[in-house]
Amino acid sequence: MRWACILLPQLALDAVLRDRDDPEAPLALIAGTPQRRVLKTMNPAARALGLQPGQSLTAAQAMTRDFVMAEYDPAQIEYWHRFLAAWAYRFSSHVSLDYPRALLIEVESSFNLFGPWELFERRLRDELTALGFRHRIVLAPNPAAARALATIHDGLAVTHREALDKVLGQMPIQHCGLSREIATAFSRMGLRRLQQVLALPRDTIAKRFPKEVLRHLDALVGESAVVLDCYAPPDEFDVRIELNFDVESHQALLFPLRRLTSDLAAFLAGRDSGVQRFTLFLEHREGPDSQIPVGLLSAERDAAMLFELARGRLENVQIPGPTQALRLLARDLPAFVPAYRELFNERPQQSLPWEQLRERLRARLGDGAVHGVHAFADHRPECGWQINAAKAATGLADLPPRPGWLLSKPVPLQEPALRIVAGPERIESGWWDGGDVRRDYYLVQTHRGQLAWAYCPVGEAGPLLLHGWFA
Amino acid sequence: MSGYAELHCLSNFSFQRGASSAQELFERASHHGYSALAITDECTLAGIVRAWQAAKETGLKLIVGSEMQVESGPRLVLLAENLQGYQILCRIITRARRRAAKGEYRLLREDFAEPLPGLLAIWLPDNQPDAQAGHWLKEIFPERVWLAVELHCGPDDGRRLAHLQTLAAALGIPAVAAGDVHMHARGRRALQDTMTAIRFHCTVAEAGHRLFPNGERHLRSLSALANIYPTELLVETQRIDERCTFDLGQLRYQYPRELVPEGQTPGSWLRQLTEQGMRWRWPLGIEEKVQVQIDKELALIIDKEYESYFLTVHDIVRFAREQAILCQGRGSAANSAVCFALGITEIDPAKSNLLFERFLSRERDEPPDIDVDFEHDRREEVIQYVFQRYGRHRAALTAVASTYRGAGAIRDVAKALGLPPDQVNALADCCGRWSTKLPPPERLREAGSDPDNPMLHRVLTLTGELIGFPRHLSQHPGGFVISEQPLETLVPVENAAMDDRTIIQWDKDDLDLVGLLKVDILALGMLSALRRSFDLIRLHRGRDLTLATIPAEDAPTYEMISRADTVGVFQIESRAQMAMLPRLKPRTFYDLVIEVAIVRPGPIQGDMVHPYLRRRNGEEPVTYPSEALKKVFERTLGVPLFQEQVMELAIVAAGYSADEADQLRRSMAAWKRHGGLEPHQKRLTEGMLERGYTAEFAARIFEQIKGFGSYGFPESHAASFALLTYASCWLKCHEPAAFTCALINSWPMGFYSPDQLLQDARRHRIETLPVDARFSSWDCTLEPGRNGKLAIRLGLRMVRGLREQDAQLIEMARQESAFTDTFDLVGRARLDSRARELLADAGALRGLAGHRHKARWAVAGVRPQLPLFAGQPEQKEAPVALPLPSMGEDLHADYATVGTTMGPHPLSLLRSQLKARLCRSSRELSDIEHGRTISVAGLVTGRQKPGTASGVIFVTLEDEYGMVNVVVWSDLGERQRKELVGAQLMQVDGRLESEKGVIHLIAYRLHDLTPILTGLDVRSRDFK
Repeated sequence: MRWACILLPQLALDAVLRDRDDPEAPLALIAGTPQRRVLKTMNPAARALGLQPGQSLTAAQAMTRDFVMAEYDPAQIEYWHRFLAAWAYRFSSHVSLDYPRALLIEVESSFNLFGPWELFERRLRDELTALGFRHRIVLAPNPAAARALATIHDGLAVTHREALDKVLGQMPIQHCGLSREIATAFSRMGLRRLQQVLALPRDTIAKRFPKEVLRHLDALVGESAVVLDCYAPPDEFDVRIELNFDVESHQALLFPLRRLTSDLAAFLAGRDSGVQRFTLFLEHREGPDSQIPVGLLSAERDAAMLFELARGRLENVQIPGPTQALRLLARDLPAFVPAYRELFNERPQQSLPWEQLRERLRARLGDGAVHGVHAFADHRPECGWQINAAKAATGLADLPPRPGWLLSKPVPLQEPALRIVAGPERIESGWWDGGDVRRDYYLVQTHRGQLAWAYCPVGEAGPLLLHGWFA
Repeated sequence: MSGYAELHCLSNFSFQRGASSAQELFERASHHGYSALAITDECTLAGIVRAWQAAKETGLKLIVGSEMQVESGPRLVLLAENLQGYQILCRIITRARRRAAKGEYRLLREDFAEPLPGLLAIWLPDNQPDAQAGHWLKEIFPERVWLAVELHCGPDDGRRLAHLQTLAAALGIPAVAAGDVHMHARGRRALQDTMTAIRFHCTVAEAGHRLFPNGERHLRSLSALANIYPTELLVETQRIDERCTFDLGQLRYQYPRELVPEGQTPGSWLRQLTEQGMRWRWPLGIEEKVQVQIDKELALIIDKEYESYFLTVHDIVRFAREQAILCQGRGSAANSAVCFALGITEIDPAKSNLLFERFLSRERDEPPDIDVDFEHDRREEVIQYVFQRYGRHRAALTAVASTYRGAGAIRDVAKALGLPPDQVNALADCCGRWSTKLPPPERLREAGSDPDNPMLHRVLTLTGELIGFPRHLSQHPGGFVISEQPLETLVPVENAAMDDRTIIQWDKDDLDLVGLLKVDILALGMLSALRRSFDLIRLHRGRDLTLATIPAEDAPTYEMISRADTVGVFQIESRAQMAMLPRLKPRTFYDLVIEVAIVRPGPIQGDMVHPYLRRRNGEEPVTYPSEALKKVFERTLGVPLFQEQVMELAIVAAGYSADEADQLRRSMAAWKRHGGLEPHQKRLTEGMLERGYTAEFAARIFEQIKGFGSYGFPESHAASFALLTYASCWLKCHEPAAFTCALINSWPMGFYSPDQLLQDARRHRIETLPVDARFSSWDCTLEPGRNGKLAIRLGLRMVRGLREQDAQLIEMARQESAFTDTFDLVGRARLDSRARELLADAGALRGLAGHRHKARWAVAGVRPQLPLFAGQPEQKEAPVALPLPSMGEDLHADYATVGTTMGPHPLSLLRSQLKARLCRSSRELSDIEHGRTISVAGLVTGRQKPGTASGVIFVTLEDEYGMVNVVVWSDLGERQRKELVGAQLMQVDGRLESEKGVIHLIAYRLHDLTPILTGLDVRSRDFK
């Protein structure tokens, strides 16, 4: 077997830099608590300014301010690591993510497809460079050695045991894949290169170090095998139905659509998840595919509902030309939380369940026309509720009476014979966002008996402004 | 219109709630014509003394009270009707506070079980008042409970009022108007909202309904109140006001009586103890002069009734002496002959020209103030003694009200306004850590913030308001209040952050105003070092030295001081002090007193240093503005250096009374924060002109007083410090090995690291021996060296990370028999692998296993023995060849493991490389003429940016021969920031300034040579 190690020495940085117009500009990634922000890593331009990993942000800024900051995000690193594994999966079915910031690929069995190692390696490098990832590649007879050698070598290809022994022997002990404590212990004994350690009688090592040390040394030289987990590509739903004839009407697309949505529902059920978003592709004879994104407010997997939704969206689309195939791609597959149902649910036959009604309205009227409303803790009435508020409401108990219908813009209250029922209730709040209000609110009753909520600014005697109606 | 007394009002001592100071509240209430103002901070009286002061200044009556929430009970305000009520209020607050964590309280229903005479209660009903609570309160406070009606333009005030009036009538208790005041004026609404957000650790936008809906909770005008409340509710406030007659001035404080035996008065007992002390101090009989002084002092103390204070301090010091804890008193009354006889100070009045009257005067009504420094490591024993002797109910530490400073205020405000963390940090960095001012706009722009941006404008405005507000109570480092009666009858007591510590709710200034006396029990590292030095000298020389018996006025000691050879000694070891010594050349004890006081921000900012030096060196005639002032300034050659002199000056030259001079002293300490020196400027100038001094002289004197302001150093403290300075210098001069050894064992303390102290010792030809498990104890010790002198053996404490208990195991095992090899050591001392590896890496096994590599190999090979084979020798294994550590490796390991090296200094290893770069060594500098351009290189051991020197950065470089002081001007520092901040090994090209033995290098250019030194463990004192 031949193992290639692709080491990604600045994965976090590359992940940020590939999105920047000017990757040569000084950039540093920042991590740490808000009290102590620390520079995690930086590009060469930033290093040239004197910035160093581990430096506190305060110290760095004391030195220079001519650099851009970005958050060091472990989730992003994980994401790109997997992204590259998916990329590498095309070259070998044996890809491993077991080593951080590195991909281990069994390549010997792929030589038939991708040519001898020189060509293969060049192709890997070209593609990685095009993707925007710095890399080091080393080929070795076993994964442990490949990983270790990649730390200080690039472009090295070792295929024979003798050559491996020689190049491994020269490795500094702290770069051999041993834990930091073990490597430190060896170097404190004056043993700085792997060959010094390999030359020790095995029993002296066994006596002084945990079992894993000998095991790892054996793995490096190929005396024992390393078992790596194989990477498996992600789960997603991507099914295409080729139509037997060119279809131009919506109606004719509904049948295949129903199949796709029910397949999707079955698939979701099988993996116990729901779908929050999926895309329909209409493949045309000419021109690009039509894409119809379908989004839901929450994860669902009911076949009828998915169909209903997709149909609603499909029917709103102008189909540019004859369609040859229909494809459904669903990547966003979050866990599904079933809705709570009464045991004896006496629902009138005609009515739709609320979720279905909601989604149908959304599909018919457009996303902008239907939204959720959340109460929001703010004394200013106009800020007291928010559309599609992402966060749950906070501390709304014990609210004073507020009108159910608040006008989006207050208007002068031109009602004769008003009676003041209560007030003034003074509201002075909101200075922090520049929207400070200072108003005296009154609960007033019109001569027709309607209850209105109206105010005048504090200190002004002007006419009342109507702000809402009580039901 | 009816009068009004506000009975429910919070000051900013209800932390993160009250948005105005007592001063502001009283000024506003007085402006509105209120008849009285109650300060009712939440379960605390921490702000009450300030309120009392504000009340006195504005002439408005203060009612003392507190708002509190009973657990599963009502919220209420308690007001002190009379002294008894005040004492009960203190007790209730103390109980509620003592059963909760620091900063919190838990008030239970059972706290109201006993009779509470003298307390009035105002019930603060919530939105749905619980009539049960009303019944309960009525039972506890018969005829002394009211129902508060607090109207703030809520949704339906009319209904609320009617509802509460009905309730009051039903319960048969009167209703009264109150304001729930959180700020003096409506304009503080934004600050109050911000404080609420800070309290809830959220942003203002997130605070939602936790904010008040409007700004009505301020002191409203009488006409506004008349529109809101029916007259009878306002009249009711007057009834309560009339009932409350308590004033803080009624508090009477008594000293503990148990210190005086039966049949004695405090005066007679103090006299007896002083006489005993005199026989101890002067066994051969006492000089007439001293006897006269002691009699005079005793008469004064007894006349002022301060005997108990001296007896209390004496008792504490006596305990310390019995426990062999070194201590030294300082402060206005400490340097007296009586205190010398009582053992409170070691300054022999016969040997110094200090006068007691200067520190305690008959006319001035200033309480005596004695701070006692104890050995740093053992102060806790003294504190526990005080607690034990007087009991926790009678002794407690004083509080310190920590106030918001620039950086903290801007941080909290910016966070509450939702600025992102990086911007919060950037803004905080713009404020000096201790600055009480807003950062200037240029500084903000430099840091990339736009001060004209509306958000930042809000942040800055609110920060400006918040600065100076108290944020929490913390514990004073050592100020004790001890009382005859339980303390909780004087002031509430609460828990401190540390376990087993309780603090009273007042700080030092509050105590002064109320007339409570305090004793400061402080910690000083140098005293530990001195005691250890004395112990070592007793052990190795058989000589019993004490602070008092160290030979006085020793010429070699002063010669050493004048050479600035003072690394490690007390006070005069800093760079600035060392630069002063060769110019001042102290020759007497009083010169040291001046030396200690002169290198301080006060004299430096008041421009007193250079005139003094010129006069001392005869470069300028010594003149006095008048014959009268000659007496005041003679001892400092006509230059005001001490706080006491400023006060005397005010008396002599401007006609101040002793009391007024004392006020001047207080204003001097406070003017930076509150201002308030202006009246003195007028008064001083007029007084001086009247007495024939020139206006120019008066103006100069006033500038000097301002400079003294926050930093003025009293002569009484300088004298006590100078004694420790002299003692440490004498030890360094005559017993350098013992002194260095003691310093290292007392570390951390002082200015220098153990490495620097040891290097200094070696430069003085003291042999230093490495850490060795065969010989080393935990502490560094002395043993006979090769040159016949004592050598310093490094202790196991130097091994970084090693635990003291491991060291003790080694010492115990070694006492049984010497170790034969590593196996023997590890087995008998039962060392775990961590301890073994630390010892091996530190080179402490050199005598048992050989060099570091071998030692590490050996300790790794020792496996725990099974009981069956106990006592069996270790199984032999084939020897393994391990490489010898190189010199560089050893150096690296030395610094990494023990923080110093017994081998060559790193710079000596690099010297040939540095020579090639034409760098001079520190040893050569004294032979180079002033003004030459040269290069030096050294390890950067210090970077300082003193507040007194604008923009200058002082860098200290160290090489194998000593230290080089480098001055980096701000423009160079800006240009070469990377080298300045980043270099561990730095080369500096610059101009040599050499004057009277003081050498500086003014930097032209900096080079970072760190690459040729990588890996050395150097701890730099970075900008602090």
